Amino acid sequence: MKYVDEFRDPALGEVLAGEILGLVEPGRHYKFMEVCGGHTHSIYKYGIDDLLPANVELVHGPGCPVCVIPMGRVDDGISLAHQPDVIFTCFGDMLRVPGSDGTLLDAKAEGADIRMVYSPLDALRIAKANPDRPVVFFAIGFETTAPSTALTLKRAKAEGVSNFFCMCNHVTIVPPLRALLDSPDLRLDGFIGPGHVSTVVGVRPFEFIPAEYGKPISVAGFEPLDVLHAIHMILTQLKEGRCEVENQYARVVPYDGNPRALQVMSEVFELRPHFEWRGMGFISQSGLKLSEAYADMDAEIQYGVPGIRVADPKACQCGEVLKGVIKPWECKVFGSGCTPERPIGTCMVSSEGACAAYYNYGRFAREREVV
Amino acid sequence: MSRLIADAAAALAPSCDYTTGCITCGDVAIPLTVLRLDEERGLALCAADDGNSETVEIDLVAPVAPGDRLLVHAGTAIARLTEEASA
Repeated sequence: MKYVDEFRDPALGEVLAGEILGLVEPGRHYKFMEVCGGHTHSIYKYGIDDLLPANVELVHGPGCPVCVIPMGRVDDGISLAHQPDVIFTCFGDMLRVPGSDGTLLDAKAEGADIRMVYSPLDALRIAKANPDRPVVFFAIGFETTAPSTALTLKRAKAEGVSNFFCMCNHVTIVPPLRALLDSPDLRLDGFIGPGHVSTVVGVRPFEFIPAEYGKPISVAGFEPLDVLHAIHMILTQLKEGRCEVENQYARVVPYDGNPRALQVMSEVFELRPHFEWRGMGFISQSGLKLSEAYADMDAEIQYGVPGIRVADPKACQCGEVLKGVIKPWECKVFGSGCTPERPIGTCMVSSEGACAAYYNYGRFAREREVV
Repeated sequence: MSRLIADAAAALAPSCDYTTGCITCGDVAIPLTVLRLDEERGLALCAADDGNSETVEIDLVAPVAPGDRLLVHAGTAIARLTEEASA
């Protein structure tokens, strides 16, 4: 497949892995965070961590939108889904995220009309096909997905679709990164930056990481050679004593992002004063809500949602996993009480979640190592 | 009982699970080729390399033409793929 196969070449991977080995200083431990859940998935799917020297450690960041959704928001979504006549639409992974009293799939089994969609545009199509019923789209995702929701809301307004509503859970990537960097729990040597978020926001928003915190970052693509190349770039910076933002994914990511996407987002959304993240608490200006011009399409305003804050389950250590403080297998319930089939925490739900990625691709290797 | 029904519904849900990946809610985008355009509505019919096609919002990367390669996330083209850029 064009633009894909070139970045999965095993021979080139071995060359890169060999060069990485030559870049690390023996006796020094390197800890890099892959910010994005898509990278976590690639790392375990392709066994990238097995190609790295033992003293290069990858830790997982908060960049899986499903994983960071707090239980209270799931409960709010379920309460909306149970409203009379409502057709509730959301992406597939959201269906299995546990709220305090079951999942959206459980609510569907109880009779709520909940439908999985692949895009906001699909949800709008459902609204147009059912003009006498309110259709709520549960919007979730970082800046990669937010423009898609924004464009669909603009389209609904332009086409006069009055039964289309949005419960907005979009989040932004920079505030949680800043929260992580301010956290005393975590010592990091560099970041693998999120590739597709950066097609929208660009590389510029990450300049604060080297400038204010003295850590290198390389924005990376999602193929195995992309991730290896990004690690190579970060190690080269450290070896040469440099500290800057580099763009490994320049074939797709412009330095200034997509100005049109940023413009559409600013028309449709505004920043919430604060938003709750699973395991990380409330983070200032980290969530988006619909702007005043779109308030008539805001499901939270039109229906009112309970908005009750629900504490994470005690056994669940998703917070520590999302902050990279512990590895997924170090969680008390990993693989026993919490599995992809019966998740307790969000990190075990989405394919981009660190725990699900470990469970599916790394668990057996880890067991071999322990034995 | 409701749990059984929920499990059955999960088993029947389209391939948006932890083994195949969720292209929409993760930071995942796929390369598609533009087949034809509905310029008035700002939409394009695009095909994946496996032959599946879908309707895509092209507002963020317009103007596009048939044959162009786009990176698509959640039904929206977020970037354009070019020969020079991939070199």
